[in-house]
Amino acid sequence: MRRSSLLFLVVTAFVTATPVQASGTSDVTVAEVIQSGSELDGERITVEGELIGDYGFRDDGWMWTQLNGDAYVSDPIGEGGSPVGGNTGIGIRMPTHLGDDLDPPGRYRNRGPIVRATGIWTYHDPGRQGESYLKVESLSVIEAGRRMPQEADWLVMIAGLSLVTGAAVLWLTLESSNVTRPFRRLSGI
Amino acid sequence: MLIRPVGEDFRVIGFYLGRIFLVVAAAGLLPLAWAAAAGEWHPFGSFLVMVGLFSLLGVGGVKLAPEDHQLDWSHGMVVVALTWLIVPVIAAVPLLASGHFGSPLDALFDSVSGLTTTGLSVMSDLDHLASSLNFWRHLLQFLGGLGIIIAALTVFAGAGGITLYFGEGRGERFLPSVTSTARFIWRVAVLHLFVVVGALTLVGWIVLGFDLDRAAFHGITMFLAGFSTGGFAPQSTSIGYYHSAVFEAVAAVSMVAGVMSFGLHHSLWRGPRRDALANLETRTILSTFGLTLLLTILGLAATATFTSVSGLTRQGFFQLFSAHTTTGWSTISPTELSNWGGLAFAGMAIAMALGGMGSSTAGGVKSLRVGLTLKAVVNQVRQAILPERAVVGISYYQSGVRHLTHDVVVAVMTISLLYVALYLLGAGVGMAYGIPLELALFESVSASATIGLSVGVTDPSMPVMLQIVYMLQMWAGRLEFLALFSLLGFLYSWVRGK
Repeated sequence: MRRSSLLFLVVTAFVTATPVQASGTSDVTVAEVIQSGSELDGERITVEGELIGDYGFRDDGWMWTQLNGDAYVSDPIGEGGSPVGGNTGIGIRMPTHLGDDLDPPGRYRNRGPIVRATGIWTYHDPGRQGESYLKVESLSVIEAGRRMPQEADWLVMIAGLSLVTGAAVLWLTLESSNVTRPFRRLSGI
Repeated sequence: MLIRPVGEDFRVIGFYLGRIFLVVAAAGLLPLAWAAAAGEWHPFGSFLVMVGLFSLLGVGGVKLAPEDHQLDWSHGMVVVALTWLIVPVIAAVPLLASGHFGSPLDALFDSVSGLTTTGLSVMSDLDHLASSLNFWRHLLQFLGGLGIIIAALTVFAGAGGITLYFGEGRGERFLPSVTSTARFIWRVAVLHLFVVVGALTLVGWIVLGFDLDRAAFHGITMFLAGFSTGGFAPQSTSIGYYHSAVFEAVAAVSMVAGVMSFGLHHSLWRGPRRDALANLETRTILSTFGLTLLLTILGLAATATFTSVSGLTRQGFFQLFSAHTTTGWSTISPTELSNWGGLAFAGMAIAMALGGMGSSTAGGVKSLRVGLTLKAVVNQVRQAILPERAVVGISYYQSGVRHLTHDVVVAVMTISLLYVALYLLGAGVGMAYGIPLELALFESVSASATIGLSVGVTDPSMPVMLQIVYMLQMWAGRLEFLALFSLLGFLYSWVRGK
């Protein structure tokens, strides 16, 4: 067999064996989408992350939300995770029926559903005056959303109450002692 | 001879600081009530601590009151400078207690950034922050934009108010008394609050399809940040989170209201409206906005950053509008903004450096100074061309015809040059840490002119020294240097005076 034919066979075998090509999608992280937004324009990609903020069900049949792919997806601060930086998120847009049964999105005391979303990355969409977003075609929930209990810190609460009470007592003492008249001075009378 | 401040001076300063702290303590009751209503008991405790600290300091300050508490110019400036130093420290307590900051310095950075209406942030995981804390961040911007002192002056009257008023970077008083001016400013703010919050809530609920309570939350926070030209947003993707041109347009109303000087608001409400357009300041900001927009659009078109005219127009316009009004909201990521090279980058940086109108909630050099500087430069050129004995007078229209005197030119030039020096200082420190010139300059201008747009330099992993420099830049830029120099002079007198 000639060398060029052998090379052709090897390359063809490699290309067809690559899962990315086989399925027509590539797995990328949210950070990679943000970093290489223009290069990925029009490509079918799959990203994983937490749904965040709000589900905006619009009249045009689409639902908008945000997909975060940062450290807090696996280690939320509300469950003892460390503050290691800002969020990394992209806007996603999906047909409303895909968002109908999702758990509430991630917020304070709420870990949103962790999903795997596949769709077309649309960079500077001319149809939406230059917005960038993932147009989701399919969505699977990897992990359901859940409540993250955050209880009061009683030590802080007591410290706060003590300070406020201290200020009130000092204020009333000054008022009754007639040494100074804070109320009068404050109002400029 | 320098006169060393005595106990009476400190008592006067403490007295006025005390009054202001009590007003800020009252403002702290709002997020406290929000936290209680939302059942967010963890932040509730930290808000209690904050309110308690402000109250204690306030009552303590008032207790120091001397019999004669006349506030002279120097005392007033020191009160303003110390207010803007101490308030962010205590206001940072709930932020630090939230667990969303890596260090106390990080929490202080966001507090300073909020109060100075900058909008840069080193917060971690904003998207899971408690709603009451998010409200507090935005309320800080609102208080800082209107002025803490303005808030206090609305409550208490009395001698010394004028010094405090001017110390906070306000250049004009358009009503007979400072108190009536302060109250007018609050009336303008409250009217816009009801109108814009209502409109944003409706857009969020009807157009964006949010739940009504969430739409109201977004409406309130975005108004507070927009009117104060602050630039914080309740979600990490800034105003781009909403993916809506309608929402951006309504939010822009609050930005316009914020960037307008309160004198202009007064003209539009009560005065001859033609004045508003005839003013040098209005004409200057419209001209600089037009020119920098042209630069930005040409730059984006040249690099084919957007492939459609509609995309170029909406995205280019909004980023530039946000930069020139010193708001700092963005519909694109810092990574993408940092890739805007050439003319577009220059257009954005120039717009940020020039800033909004004086006596508004905006930052930057300010349009009136820019206009007067240009007039002075043109006059110098004209004098060089005309015969030696020719006398050329300069007049300009700003709520009436005024003559540009030598003293005004010197004052305008001095402040403008100080801003340029401040921009260069931060850029120099940034470059010392290996940040490329254009990014270091952009971020430095953003901090000094209290914008908040970022090209990614500001994040929790940034060098501590750079973080401190940015905080100083925000502080000096918001107070327009005067109070800063007065504080330094006061401290120097204390050490070296006799």
